[in-house]
Amino acid sequence: MSFEMMLVQLAQGMVKSLGIFMWTLVISLPLGLLVAFGRMSKNPVLRTIIKLYISIMRGTPLMLQLLVVFYGPYYLFGLQIGGSYRFIAILIGFGINYAAYFAEIYRSGIESMPLGQYEAARILGYSRGQTFFRIILPQVIKRILPSVTNEVITLVKDTSLAFALVYMEMFTIAKQIAAANTTMMPFVIAGVFYYIFNLLVAVIMEWFEKKLSYYR
Amino acid sequence: MKKLTALLLTACLAVGLTACSGSSADTESTDSQETEAAEETADAEETASAETTEERTTFTVGFDAEYPPYGYMDENGEYVGFDLDLAQAVCDLRGWELIKTPINWDTKDMELNSGNIDCIWNGFTMNGREGEYTFSVPYVDNRQVIVTAEDSGINTLEDLAGRIVGVQTASAALDVLQSEDYADLTSSFGTLQEFGDYNNAFVELQAGAIDAIAMDIGVAQYQLESRGEGFKMLEEPLNSEQYAIAFKLGNEELKDQVEESLMELVNNGTFQSLAEEYGIEEFICLTPDSDASAEAEDAAAEDTAAEGTEDTAEAAETEE
Repeated sequence: MSFEMMLVQLAQGMVKSLGIFMWTLVISLPLGLLVAFGRMSKNPVLRTIIKLYISIMRGTPLMLQLLVVFYGPYYLFGLQIGGSYRFIAILIGFGINYAAYFAEIYRSGIESMPLGQYEAARILGYSRGQTFFRIILPQVIKRILPSVTNEVITLVKDTSLAFALVYMEMFTIAKQIAAANTTMMPFVIAGVFYYIFNLLVAVIMEWFEKKLSYYR
Repeated sequence: MKKLTALLLTACLAVGLTACSGSSADTESTDSQETEAAEETADAEETASAETTEERTTFTVGFDAEYPPYGYMDENGEYVGFDLDLAQAVCDLRGWELIKTPINWDTKDMELNSGNIDCIWNGFTMNGREGEYTFSVPYVDNRQVIVTAEDSGINTLEDLAGRIVGVQTASAALDVLQSEDYADLTSSFGTLQEFGDYNNAFVELQAGAIDAIAMDIGVAQYQLESRGEGFKMLEEPLNSEQYAIAFKLGNEELKDQVEESLMELVNNGTFQSLAEEYGIEEFICLTPDSDASAEAEDAAAEDTAAEGTEDTAEAAETEE
């Protein structure tokens, strides 16, 4: 296979990787906030369930979770899974895994807010919702941005784990081209692609941080 | 206050839900082919379960895309290989649409049992696995061989004593080496090192991390040819065995149909010319006159009798 053809094939895989990346963020960022609320809930039952969930998500390999999500429906419930479930399983797997990590990041941000701010807001007549959305959350976002950047960059690299379900993302394609042509070149190209992708992510996140660094 | 919390939760849920529904839309747009294929697979499964085989429109073949010359990605990024081209020819005869689904070799049973694929057609060794799958007639005589570096000083199986031998995870070569018949040989190895794909294994061999690799002869030939100098294949094979198409245990109906078309390809020479194209003509074990083919034709004839008229079978007979 010519070098140009490898680039084209891997670029197509890159589009798939980008798809996993985007959808995972769209699912896990809001879901993570919900999980964070559950984690900080006053209801002990909910809190314990969420703690268990986070513990499992962080304590088992993502690749294993992907396999369970994909093959679980058949092995546990005998359901026939169609081919389109492959991508959905990847999104579920990545989504719930990353939501757990984001939840802990949100929690660290929310709990780092001084109690005095809540008290002051209350005296000024803010409701709980107003306090959270107008005062707490904007500050939380500023504080947690570096940790979120960390997690997002990890996600870019983790998309390669979709090879476990033979989803045609960049890493899977690199492996296949490498096998057919008995060369390691595709891995080098894939590495460069991942690096450029992450460089972009880092630049964009830095720009966000700068944008949000008012009042400092 | 509670209202606000509720509102917030609803908003989050809404975002989550849109995300989910959006994701399926994305699948359709970006992987329209795959989705389509998948939907058709689903259809095909329904058809199969309903046992109205005439309505089968698709045939999903699971294969390891890192297994040249039986299944791999060609110059243009298409999946080709002896087995895949053969499957395509069968589908052309049957009027089915072939769906090529790359799978991980170590999760092939899950893929087959969960209905993601209709069969495993990828240089699949039947010996020792007879009770686990429904197999077609064997179509390739395979041998497991040892590949090693030219200057390794390994010339016979005995020379492997104390050396590190690589073998693909879940492969037939591994089954052979772990079987009781080969216990003496395997225990003489320094280490039996499993690996995921042949590319890594060859790099390890070059780098000296392993001393030899056990693999199928067809694969060994392809690897040696494309890698050039520096490797050799031991003349003494580990064993000989046969490749067949594996269907889910009990799926005789589909097996019979595929087998019937396969025999037609053997009788009209397509099978042989495909084998020559992929350089494995020495290993094929189906010939127009072979016993296996006669058997299969009997089966096909029975099929025809049982199911009424089948154009393909008739065509096969006229060609004789």
